[in-house]
Amino acid sequence: MIRKYMWMLILIAVLALSGCGKSGSKNDTVHLALSADIVTMDSHKTTNDYIVPMNVFDTLFSLKKNDDGSTRIDNSLVEKYELSDDALTYHFTLRDGVVFSDGTPLTAQDVKFTFERILKLPDSAQTDCVIIIDGAQDMLDGKADSLRGITVEDDKNFSITLTAPFSGFTSLLATPAMVIYSEKNVTEAGDDFGMVPGKTIGSGPYIIKEWTRGSGLVFEYNPRYWGPEPSVKKVDMKVMEPQAMDLAFQKGDLDILDCLFLDSAIVNSTYKTDTYKDRIVSVDRLGQNFILMNENIEPLGNVQVRKAIQQAINRESILNSIFAGDGKLEDGIFPTGCVGYSKNNQGWLKYDPDNAKKLLADAGYADGFDLEICLDSTANDSIKNAVQVISENLKAVGINASIRSIDHASYLDLRNSGEMPCFWAFWLLDYNDPDNIIYTFFGSKDNVKLRSLNYSDDSVIQRVAAAKTIGKEADRLAEYEALEKKILQDDAACVPMFSTKHLFVISDRVETFIPHWAGWSDIYFDQITLK
Amino acid sequence: MKELPKRLLGIIIVMILVIALIFVMLRIIPGDPASVLLNEHVSQANIDRLTKSMGLDKSLPEQFFGYLGGVLRGDLGQSYYMQQPVSSLILQAFPYTIRLTLLSIVFAWTMGIVSGIFSAMYNDHFPDYLFRGTALLGISVPVFMVALFLQYLFYYRLSLLPLVYDGSIVSMILPAIALGWNSAGSVARLMRSSLMDELDANYMDTARAKGLIYKKAVIFHAFKNAILPVITMMALQLAEMLSGAVITESVFSIPGLGKLALTALQTRDMPLLQGTVLFTAFLIAVGGILADFINTLLNPRLRLG
Repeated sequence: MIRKYMWMLILIAVLALSGCGKSGSKNDTVHLALSADIVTMDSHKTTNDYIVPMNVFDTLFSLKKNDDGSTRIDNSLVEKYELSDDALTYHFTLRDGVVFSDGTPLTAQDVKFTFERILKLPDSAQTDCVIIIDGAQDMLDGKADSLRGITVEDDKNFSITLTAPFSGFTSLLATPAMVIYSEKNVTEAGDDFGMVPGKTIGSGPYIIKEWTRGSGLVFEYNPRYWGPEPSVKKVDMKVMEPQAMDLAFQKGDLDILDCLFLDSAIVNSTYKTDTYKDRIVSVDRLGQNFILMNENIEPLGNVQVRKAIQQAINRESILNSIFAGDGKLEDGIFPTGCVGYSKNNQGWLKYDPDNAKKLLADAGYADGFDLEICLDSTANDSIKNAVQVISENLKAVGINASIRSIDHASYLDLRNSGEMPCFWAFWLLDYNDPDNIIYTFFGSKDNVKLRSLNYSDDSVIQRVAAAKTIGKEADRLAEYEALEKKILQDDAACVPMFSTKHLFVISDRVETFIPHWAGWSDIYFDQITLK
Repeated sequence: MKELPKRLLGIIIVMILVIALIFVMLRIIPGDPASVLLNEHVSQANIDRLTKSMGLDKSLPEQFFGYLGGVLRGDLGQSYYMQQPVSSLILQAFPYTIRLTLLSIVFAWTMGIVSGIFSAMYNDHFPDYLFRGTALLGISVPVFMVALFLQYLFYYRLSLLPLVYDGSIVSMILPAIALGWNSAGSVARLMRSSLMDELDANYMDTARAKGLIYKKAVIFHAFKNAILPVITMMALQLAEMLSGAVITESVFSIPGLGKLALTALQTRDMPLLQGTVLFTAFLIAVGGILADFINTLLNPRLRLG
C-alpha cells in the first residue's frame, strides 16, 4: 500500500520544498538579474564588471543627472577641493568620519595607495585613467616606485598634480574605475582581494556577502556607511539568460528588468502594454552609435565613397522600425547631453540614395563594389537587425554588401589588427567629457588602427590629442566642434547614427528607480526606493 | 582485469595527445585574451603589457613545454581571465557538474529503461505508442529547447520549481531532466528493440512452457540479456552528458564545468580551457574503463574472451 502511494509522497515533498524557497522575507530585498557573471570585483582588473565597485566602494566625486539631461558633479568622499591657477594641481580635503565597512578609517594615504596600485599591478586594465597624473608614466616604465604627482599632507588633505590641464579630471574621478581602496584591507587580503567577498571591503552603501561564480551575488546594506541609509537593504542578483529574465519578471520574481537584453519586438508586445507601460523607466544612453569605415580597405579610402555610404543609410527608418523610435538621430561624434555636443554640427546628414549613387558614379564606382560588414555574434538582436537593413540600404545604391558574423574574441582580434572593413560600433561614455569619446576613436595612430578606422589625417589626430589640455573651456569646446565637423562632414570618416534610450521595467514593489546617468546596465542600488 | 595496466597507459597517451591538440587548436583560432579582457577600452600599451603579463609574448614551443611541464607536476596554470589557479577553479566547479550529471543519469536511465520495457511488453498498443512518441521527441529535440519548455511549464505556468539554480537540490531537478531527456529517449529506444529481440527468443518459449508467468519471465530471463547493449550505450552517454552540460548549465546558471569551459572559450582563456578539456577527457576515459569493467562483471562471456 505504502509503495503504491510512494510517488504521491514524493510529489508532495517536492511541492513542499519548492514552496520553501519563496517564503523568505521579501520586504526590503530587491531581486535583480545579470546577463553574465562578473569576473572580478577588483575595478583595477576589469573594464566591464562595475556592479561591485559601484555599490561596495566609493569614488571621490559622483556624477548625477539633472532634469534637463545635463550632468553635474557632486562631492562624494571629497569634502571640498581647490584648483591651482595653472590648472595643474588639485588640492582635496576628504570628508570627515568615513570608515570602511570593517571600521578602518579612510585616509589620504589610501587614495595615493589606490592610484599607485593601478600603475603597479602587472595585469592592471585601468592605467589609462591615471596616466595624466604627474609621474604615472615613470611608474609604468618602472623608473619610479611611488607616484610623485600625489602629495599626502595629513590624514585628510592631499593634492594631485597633472602633467597638463584637464578640465574633465573631476568627472574622471567619478567613474567606478577610480573607487578608493583601503591600503590596510587590500594589503591584508593579498590575492583574495576582489575574489573573496569577506576580503573585498569598501566604504560604499553595500557589503558584498556572497559571490557564487556563474550563479549570482548577494549584497547587504553597510550599517557603517557615511551617507543616507538606502531604502533597499538586501540585493539578490542572479545570473540569467535573457529569456529567463523575461519569465522571472512576469512571474514577479524580478524587480527590475533591463530591456536592453530583450528583442525590442518583445519589449513592444509585452511591456509597452497597458499592464506595464506605467512601470517603464527610461534614460537616454549617453553614447553614440557609428558605422565605421576602414580607409585602408579599397575603395573606402575614397572620401566620395564614404560620403555616399553616409547618405545611403536610412537612419531614421532603422531607429523607428528596429529601435521602436526609442532614441534620437545624432549627426555628430558627441551625443545629446555630452559635454561638447554642438547644435551647429546637427542636421547636415540627410538620407539621399540618389545623391549617393551620383557620388559613387563620380568616384568611378557606378557599378558598385563588394563590401563586407562585420558583426559581433554577441551583439544584441536590434543591432543584428539594423546591420541587416544597412546592407539592404547599401545594395539599393549598388554596393554589394554582405554580412559576416564573427564570435566576440575573433571580432575584437580582427578589429584591433586594423583589418575590419566596415562595422557597427558603439561607445557609451565613462565620464562626461568629449575627450572620452573622440580620443577613443581619433586620438592616436594606435587608436585609429585599433578601431579599424585607419583615419589618415595625422594633423587632425594630433589636434584631437592636444584638445584635452586646452586650458580655457570655451576654447576647448570650440576646438572639439571644429574637429567634429572636420572628421564627419569633410572627411566622412564614419557614419554617425543615433543615440538610444535605455528602458527598464520595474515591478509593482518599486516606488522609484533612477538608472545610471549614462544609461549603463549596471545600477546603483541606493537609487532604488521600495514602496 | 589483466587489461588494466594497458588501459591506464592508453589513458596517459590520450591525455598527452589531447593537450597537444587543444594547445595547437587554441593557437590557430583567432582571438586574443588581452583584447577580450580590455574589451572596448583597448589601448596598444595596455594590450602589450597584458600580453607580457600573461606570458603570451614567449615563443610557442616555450609556452607548450612550459605548460606540459606544469601539468606533469600537477600545476594546470593560472586562469588569465579569472586570475585564479585553474585547478582550484575546476575543483570548485566539478561538484556542481557531478551532481547534475548523476541526477540526470538517474532520471534518464530509470525513465529510459522503464518506458523501454513497457513499450516492448505492450508492443503496438497504446503504452507503446505513447512511450515511443515521447522517446522520439527525446532524441530529436535539442537540449536548450527542452530546457526552455521545462522552465516555461514548471516555473512560469505551474509555479512548481525554481527558474534557475539557487543552491538547493530542488532547483537541480529541471536541469537534470533537460540534460537527461535526450539520453532517456535513446535508452528507451534501445531497451525496447533489445528486449523485443529477446522476447522472440526460444528460451522465452521454454520459460513460458515451464509455467512461468509472462511478467516474471520478462523480468528474470529476457531483461537480463536485453540490458547488456543498453549498459554499453549508457556508458557512452556519460560523455554526451558532459558536453550537454555546457548548454544546460548556461540556461540554468549552474556554476559547473560546462559553464566554466564555455566562459574560457569565449574569453580565449587558454590555461582554463586546456584545463577543463583535459579534465573532461580524463573523466570520459575513466568512464570508459568503468563501463567495460561493469560489462565484464555482468556478462561472463566477455571474461573468457
